[in-house]
Amino acid sequence: MDKILAKAKRTKEYLNEYYIEIKKNDFKEVCSYLSHDKNAILRMMFGTDEREIDGTFKIYSVFTIYGNERFFIIYFSLTEEDNAFPSITHDIPAAHWYEREIKDMLGLIPDGHPDTRSLVFHDAFPKDSYPLRKDWNISDADLEEWGKGIAKKRPYNFMEVKGEGIYEIPVGPVHAGIIEPGHFRFSAVGETIFFLESRLFYTHKGTEKHFEKLGFTEGVKLAERISGTSSYSYSCAYCMAVERMTGAEITEKAKAVRTLLIELERLYNHIGDIGNMCAGTGLQVGYAKGAAIKESLMQLNERLTGSRYLRGVNIIGGVNKDILLCKDDIFSTLSMAIKKYKELMKLLLGTVSHVERLENTGRLSKEIAQKLGVTGVAARASGIEDDLRKTHPHLLYERLAFEEHVMSKGDVLARMMIRAEEAECSISIISSLLENKYKGDPAVQPNNIPGYSSALGFAETPHGSLFFWIKADKNGRPLRVKFRSPSFCNWPAVPFAVHGNIVPDFPLCNKSFNLSYSGCDM
Amino acid sequence: MIKEILKNLLTKKSAIPFPEDFKGNNEMLEIISSKKKIETGFKRSIKIRQVDSGSCNACEWECTALSNPIYDIQRFGIDFTASPRHADILLVTGPVSRQMELALRKTYLAMPEPKLVVACGDCAIDGGIYKGSYAVTNGAANVIPVDCCIKGCPPSPSDIIQALKKLLDALADNKAQIK
Repeated sequence: MDKILAKAKRTKEYLNEYYIEIKKNDFKEVCSYLSHDKNAILRMMFGTDEREIDGTFKIYSVFTIYGNERFFIIYFSLTEEDNAFPSITHDIPAAHWYEREIKDMLGLIPDGHPDTRSLVFHDAFPKDSYPLRKDWNISDADLEEWGKGIAKKRPYNFMEVKGEGIYEIPVGPVHAGIIEPGHFRFSAVGETIFFLESRLFYTHKGTEKHFEKLGFTEGVKLAERISGTSSYSYSCAYCMAVERMTGAEITEKAKAVRTLLIELERLYNHIGDIGNMCAGTGLQVGYAKGAAIKESLMQLNERLTGSRYLRGVNIIGGVNKDILLCKDDIFSTLSMAIKKYKELMKLLLGTVSHVERLENTGRLSKEIAQKLGVTGVAARASGIEDDLRKTHPHLLYERLAFEEHVMSKGDVLARMMIRAEEAECSISIISSLLENKYKGDPAVQPNNIPGYSSALGFAETPHGSLFFWIKADKNGRPLRVKFRSPSFCNWPAVPFAVHGNIVPDFPLCNKSFNLSYSGCDM
Repeated sequence: MIKEILKNLLTKKSAIPFPEDFKGNNEMLEIISSKKKIETGFKRSIKIRQVDSGSCNACEWECTALSNPIYDIQRFGIDFTASPRHADILLVTGPVSRQMELALRKTYLAMPEPKLVVACGDCAIDGGIYKGSYAVTNGAANVIPVDCCIKGCPPSPSDIIQALKKLLDALADNKAQIK
């Protein structure tokens, strides 16, 4: 670490966040040292417009080192004239999408990036228009053109695979089933997928910019609506970041309620996903059983919180309902759910035709997963021990004894088994949480947000690790809200997992990752 | 064997019951306009094409839940279809992001007449929490003509069933000629 500190212009330590300011020209070397010598993971990378503070843009990159609870936040300044920075994508492939996103949203150029196409914006969005700049404005005429896709201002060229017998299959953005929009282009040889390119960001809603408009308290509602099935994790991570900014510590009781609900969210997601994978193999009975268990858990959510997606519980400073009072209801529903879930798993693993379709399908190697910074179930199925609940114990996870589940094969079956094991683990966590009593009120009055303060918030969603980084302006309103969903770093891995598989297995692979489009598209 | 079947026929109790408030409330459904096409009627069977125009995915999961063994929407003669060419109703979710506007309009145009458009969820009605963001058009009505709205964020499956059932009844009785 001394090597980096020798290059540092300024350092600041806040909770477990270690801010290190460096010179732009040292960026490549520092990142390369962290990533190769220290085995650090690039957690996120983003730009901010801080011209109102010191007249510069800043690029932040957040690293964690395995076994170290600190977040290393490396940052440097760029000016409006000198707006290019050295790209680290060649060295750290995980930075690929982050750098393209910075370019689209802020107009800061990653020098030497292998892919210069636009990531976030589609054809008709005006060129040289950067929404995250504070002085950005767009005319109504331009917006209309963008919506109707009239003018091709940012033409997009799909990668082409040429050769005898290779043909292209375009799919989407409107799909046959009830799923989110995204465009996929397969280059296939016969039935085998040779190459897949996905073009996402159809659901881009300008969420990060919208946070700035709403303010911190209203922001909780927006955080809940970034990605539907992990609503609760998003609001937890968001509230955590804001609470850390104010320096407030939530009570033990609030922590217990949050841990309980976040585990309930994981449980209904995992069981639902296991059921959904059966739809990919045509095992209708498994699909129906999975959906029924999921439904019973969602009805429990509704009885506990008034929302099937656990919305409206988190507030800044704690929670507004003491869920722990509904102990009996949770116990009786879970005991029924676990019985049915065990039957389901027995059925699935006993059906040879189902298991055979899952085995060796959609394999993601550990090497590729590591390079792309894959997270969550997909990472753990490929042998990477990555679980924020273990590496950065937050809420009550420090006190709870549970195992981290890791498998090595990285195929669809491994991802299903990880989900199955984690679902059982969640049930045991919930039961042990309910056995104890916790001190404190559900919520505390949050302090005022100090000007120009910033903090990280994080949570382990059912899909993987989620990060928020929030900075306030001088009046205590949001200056920049950045979130990195697990889907954002898992999407680039999907083409690698489906390479060499047959086209009909793509839905199955896709379901085994179960990534959110809305969360990824910001 | 026969005894088993008889037993199954006689016991109608399902393990996971409908949520208690299944009766729903009448405010869930709002029929905005209805055109001459109602005269032809849909004869109590409809096919729905669902389009996600940038929603957070909660509305989609509620639509998916409609086909699970608890709600089983097929028993009402309602089903989801893969192609807009087979659809009677276009169910739109999400605030219609600018990047999905064209796809939504194309889907609408691909549907045969007579057709109805249902905006499902607060986002699809007026943009919901995303109202005013630069990247959304603030609701489906700004892109295609909307006939009916289902409120909620997200509307629960029982709300959606309730609303669709009402719309269907209204169509069959020719009562939907509001305005």
